Amino acid sequence: MNQNLYNKKTLQWLFYAAAFGVIGAVPLISDDAFLLNQLAVYGVYGMLAVSISLCWGSGGILNMGQGIAFGLGAYCMAMTMQMQTQAEDTIPPFMLNNGLDSLPHLWQPFQDTTTGIILALLVPTTFYLVFGGIMFTARVSGPFFAIMTLATLSAFATIFVDLQPYTNGVNGISPPGSLNLGETEIDPYSSGAYWFVFGLLVLCTVAAKLINQSRFGLIVRALKDDPERVRFLGYNVAIYETLVYALSGLIAAIAGCCFAVLTQYVSPAQFDVGFSISIVIWAALGGRNSLIWAMFGAFTVQGAQSYVGDQFLNTWILILGFSFILVVRFLPGGFAGLVETVLGRLAKPETETQSENGNLKFSGAKEVAK
Amino acid sequence: MIGGFFRIENIEKSFGGNKVIDGFSLNVAENTLQCLVGPNGAGKTTTIDLISGRQKPDAGKVFLNGDDITGRGEHEISRKGIGRKFQIPAVLKGLTVRENLEVAYSREVNALRNMFSMKAKGCAEKLDEISQQVRLTKRLNVEAGLLSHGETQWLEIGMVLMQDPTILLLDEPVAGMTENEIGLTVEILNKLKRSHTIILVEHDMGFVRKIADVVTVLHMGALLAQGSIEEIEKDERVRAVYLGTEDAH
Repeated sequence: MNQNLYNKKTLQWLFYAAAFGVIGAVPLISDDAFLLNQLAVYGVYGMLAVSISLCWGSGGILNMGQGIAFGLGAYCMAMTMQMQTQAEDTIPPFMLNNGLDSLPHLWQPFQDTTTGIILALLVPTTFYLVFGGIMFTARVSGPFFAIMTLATLSAFATIFVDLQPYTNGVNGISPPGSLNLGETEIDPYSSGAYWFVFGLLVLCTVAAKLINQSRFGLIVRALKDDPERVRFLGYNVAIYETLVYALSGLIAAIAGCCFAVLTQYVSPAQFDVGFSISIVIWAALGGRNSLIWAMFGAFTVQGAQSYVGDQFLNTWILILGFSFILVVRFLPGGFAGLVETVLGRLAKPETETQSENGNLKFSGAKEVAK
Repeated sequence: MIGGFFRIENIEKSFGGNKVIDGFSLNVAENTLQCLVGPNGAGKTTTIDLISGRQKPDAGKVFLNGDDITGRGEHEISRKGIGRKFQIPAVLKGLTVRENLEVAYSREVNALRNMFSMKAKGCAEKLDEISQQVRLTKRLNVEAGLLSHGETQWLEIGMVLMQDPTILLLDEPVAGMTENEIGLTVEILNKLKRSHTIILVEHDMGFVRKIADVVTVLHMGALLAQGSIEEIEKDERVRAVYLGTEDAH
């Protein structure tokens, strides 16, 4: 049987290795601190796209509120960084302006860096487990779930603005120093920070890919097709959905932490509805069924926005929206779908194979081989 | 009545005030093939839904091996050993035939353990055996959505076999199959019933004649008659329901 190059596992891993090899080598070529910081932020966007590819591409769970985990992770990290710069028994200056005279309970755990980082990952993931658990056991799915995530995201944005004494409202938190891990300081404008984010991006992508290839991943792809059928095979679909949703939340939380470290700033903008929707657009443009292509989607859109978008100002949003419409209409698989079709054509001209029952079956480029 | 292996007691189900199942009881002995027949709207598929957990009965009980499984979740009932094939073949269209069969091999259903497992133990051997049985060995790498209707039916039968349940619920498994394909299905079913209990919903009495050990006739959601195929075919009430002699013609 002819094999479609695109579906060969070994080739896929080689492709991942090559792509990450190139991305990881950037600091060897350039030492422009501003550029490295900007590219590292793209790495954060890449992680977000990977997280959406995992829950939407693999599991069919359209999550338009990925900003929830991203924002929670970023806030927890910024709080940890803020507390690192506070002298003993002092409180962040914005709290004084808001009438607080001692550190609120909410902030206490972030005095310890390890606890702070654990909370930055644990809080969003736990929230996803609970929220996902409630939704999926009630069999909320498809557009209804997407709307629930959007609504919850907006609620978070409002809450973080309203809790001004604790979050500094719309101004957000901007820790004056960079993150210290033990003895090492992660200077956001350095190759060290770039590699730190890059390492986490590789880790998240490889972990997500292994999950996709596991039996768990197979069942998740099956329930995207027909959750009812999977239920009758003995699987508790709600548990699978909740877990894949929470795992994607964990990746988004890691992205949030990196974002806070790189920009030394966090604000309710991280909970912005438009931002969460653009994550979905990155994944859709790149190809939501492929982790790495979703990541490329993020790089392409954000890169274009930075370098081309500036010249178009507000027209850029129109260009982005129009290209999204074009992709949805003509390239439902995104760039990845285009590549898959081209490779399929190259590997195998369309053929007809004889099926065992003696009927002629048409099996074109869609025939898949492992 | 022999059995007690699988038992339904006086189940009832209404949809919007309309009683679809009205005190139906059924006893199925181990390793028999019991056919559920009846005119359209008799409640055959609803009975299968009530057994497999897709619908919850308003009253009555379902027992498997003495265990009360009434109203449990679909996945729990499936884990107890009841496998189901749908009337409209339900395969996972976006997955390959091989992947469909792999998913159906549900020995391990724990999500966390499945996260750290790449291949299920014993799956490959079982997959070889079943794909030969349902004649899909050469179609394993094809997307299930591209299969012909007959092949789709067999794939779903294959999926139920991969599950290896104690009881198979088959809802019109030969609908849309060619004569050849039906012949093969008869062969598979006659072999299967030596080691499995099968409850099969069917319209086609010709097919029922070739496979059934016991035939149960449902009418208006209640038991009308039960017995061997010869007894059923002689039964006056069954003839009346099927041929409509009660109606003025």
